[in-house]
Amino acid sequence: MKRLWELREVSTIAILACEVLFFTWYLWPVGGRSHPFFNIANALLILKYSSIYGIAAIGAAIVIISGGIDLSPGAVIALSGVVAGVLFVDRHWSLASSAIAGLLTGVGCGLLTATLVVLVRLPPFIATLGVMGIARGAAFIITEGRYFDVSGELPPGFRLLGVPLDWTSPILMVILALVFQVLMTRFQWGRAIFAVGGNETAALFSGVRVGFVHTSVYLVAAVLAALSGIALAVVQGQGKADLAMGYELDIIASAVVGGASLAGGRGSVIGAVLGALIFGVLRNALPQIPGATFYDRLIVGLVVIVIVVVDQLLEGRKRSVQ
Amino acid sequence: MPAVQFDHIDKSFGAVAALRDVSFSIEAGEAHAIVGENGAGKSTLLKILAGGLHPDRGELRIGGAPVVLTGARDALARGIGLVHQEMLAFPNLTVTANIFAGRELTARFGWLREDTMRDRARDLLARLHLSVSPDALVAALPVAYRQLLQVARALAFDCRTLALDEPTTSLTAAETDHLFRILDDLKRSGVTIIYVSHRLPEVFRLCDRITALRDGRHVATFARDRVSADDVVTAMVGRSIPARAARPDVRATAQVRLRLEGFTSIPCFEEISLSIAPGEIVGLFGLVGSGRTELLETIVGLRHADRGTLVVVDRDDRADRRLQFRSPRAAARAGVVLVPEDRQRQGLFFNLSLRHNLVLPSAEARRAVLVRDAERRITADLLRGWRITASSIDATPGQLSGGNQQKVVLSKWLALQPRVLLLDEPTKGVDVGAKYEIHGVIREMAAGGAACLMVSSDLPEVLALADRILVMREGRIRGEVAAAGADEERVMRLAT
Repeated sequence: MKRLWELREVSTIAILACEVLFFTWYLWPVGGRSHPFFNIANALLILKYSSIYGIAAIGAAIVIISGGIDLSPGAVIALSGVVAGVLFVDRHWSLASSAIAGLLTGVGCGLLTATLVVLVRLPPFIATLGVMGIARGAAFIITEGRYFDVSGELPPGFRLLGVPLDWTSPILMVILALVFQVLMTRFQWGRAIFAVGGNETAALFSGVRVGFVHTSVYLVAAVLAALSGIALAVVQGQGKADLAMGYELDIIASAVVGGASLAGGRGSVIGAVLGALIFGVLRNALPQIPGATFYDRLIVGLVVIVIVVVDQLLEGRKRSVQ
Repeated sequence: MPAVQFDHIDKSFGAVAALRDVSFSIEAGEAHAIVGENGAGKSTLLKILAGGLHPDRGELRIGGAPVVLTGARDALARGIGLVHQEMLAFPNLTVTANIFAGRELTARFGWLREDTMRDRARDLLARLHLSVSPDALVAALPVAYRQLLQVARALAFDCRTLALDEPTTSLTAAETDHLFRILDDLKRSGVTIIYVSHRLPEVFRLCDRITALRDGRHVATFARDRVSADDVVTAMVGRSIPARAARPDVRATAQVRLRLEGFTSIPCFEEISLSIAPGEIVGLFGLVGSGRTELLETIVGLRHADRGTLVVVDRDDRADRRLQFRSPRAAARAGVVLVPEDRQRQGLFFNLSLRHNLVLPSAEARRAVLVRDAERRITADLLRGWRITASSIDATPGQLSGGNQQKVVLSKWLALQPRVLLLDEPTKGVDVGAKYEIHGVIREMAAGGAACLMVSSDLPEVLALADRILVMREGRIRGEVAAAGADEERVMRLAT
């Protein structure tokens, strides 16, 4: 059995903890004012915004573990949010049926990607690049550039299944992370994904259903992206076509910082969610530092590189010790 | 009743017929060898048996009943396990996960029964006398274990028929012994073994019957006790091995073109010293993993050399001493070229026309500008001179047969008129006709004054072509044999 501190997730938690400690120290208020970073309201804010990335990053991690890549989650987030928003605001559908329609949009995108990768045999990079364009384009066509104020339609103090609206997407993220972590590590489906990512030829010769694995992986990733799109539309009250622009790269970065290897076969779902939180904290705390406004993208870029390089060094040392 | 029966099997890949009307049967409980030269169709036959390929014509019968296998899963379900020649493993997974990959033991909804699998894996590993933990990561294991894991895998699914494709190519002598003890055990317990190899001593040790294939055809099936190794070789080769071409005794000149002194690159090879005269062909024989390929790659600077001296005598008879070349480009400029082993990956640009493929290296090495007309003329000359069958000089390598592809890989360097020719498996995977043509070309190059160092696992080839043979094992040269009067057994003994 692996010891606790050998788990990759533990080092990701450690990075997150160090980060929180650093900003708590750095932003310590002078003269008895309340702490601008380390307080419950801000924590909820970070969780609320990170969960959009985090839910999609679960899917991204699964795709990357299978040896693929998915560039479409940003666009799928926008499209599903727009679909749910239009139906809810314009057509006055119920919230549940609008959300289901949004999810089905995700299913459609996932099936399209899977068809392109498995049947047409396009490289995943190209297939998802195409789907990214299609989904983003569809979102613009549906909205014709308009904006849907979903939260304006919801009664004030609205609770979803008894949970305050702000709490729903973080809770959803945690539940999904746990469910997919168990699926990936304790079920045949997850084992097959690791096998395909580790050595696709061997997987084929071993009788793993490689086509099924690829299909399921892109389907799950798109559905998770759609879920985070609906969360973005409903919880944050927005439905418009240029939402989540460029999120795909942050989502992939979250999975990678959480231990996923772009070579495939390695990674963790919980790690990806923690990775999304690491970036969420950065995005929240950096603007609070005076003068750091123009540096935050640069710092985010450096963080990705440093974490992955350190991870490679540690991994290399582990191998040579064995 | 035969365990497996091949009935008039045909299989072609494009224009190349891999199997032609192959019929024979394998009895339940016997150990049956399938032998043949490279390209004889052994691997294709096994892939058909394992469900990876479908025959174009003919029938595969398992336990007497005709079957159409849908894939590896199906073959495994019918009790046929295949141990692949390639190291098919999942380095990112544990030993247990590797053994059960694709057929995990599961409870409802695919929940993995990890504990049951771990216990089963532990039993299997004990049965195979492998002292590794079922939780060990396969990436951390010695490479040979990966092959043994495939055996464990077949046993985990109670395979009654176990087919092994060249399982010992990358095993050391001790590991080979280990594998054979396991196979003997399995045979005693009634498992049918199909053993594909071209190593006759192994075949004679293990197998009850031997089937020889040649150029995709079934030649004969022998009972071991009523056949000699020579008969099997003759059946495989279809001719007695041709007498060595009489060649001038180049050693008499005492000149040296290439010399290595104490050449070392840990952990691949150590203290390699050798010298080659102009016009001499030296065979470098050794099993896979003995460090042969690494030696050639280090000379031209693809790998790092730790210490030693490399001496090349240049055109003005000056000895140029150095540790190694900085890059293959620098080596080519000094007249030292490497013809690599893997033409698919290292030798050819499949996206470029033959014209570009053939002219690129010499132009690079000479820092020449490519002029279209000259390029076309040189290419046309090369194609004609080498009898490379191609529709035009603008064809891409993908349209050529394996033998013609290999000729392209050779000739693109030979256009440089190299002074030292390093050849890594120059006839791997080419048909017999192309093989003899390639041999002719190598002899011609030697006659023109090139010093040739040829790595080959094909012992008859080394014996036929080389002036003397250096035998490598575990990174060191273990002996030198003059080719005249050398026999297979003596070389093999040094190599294993």
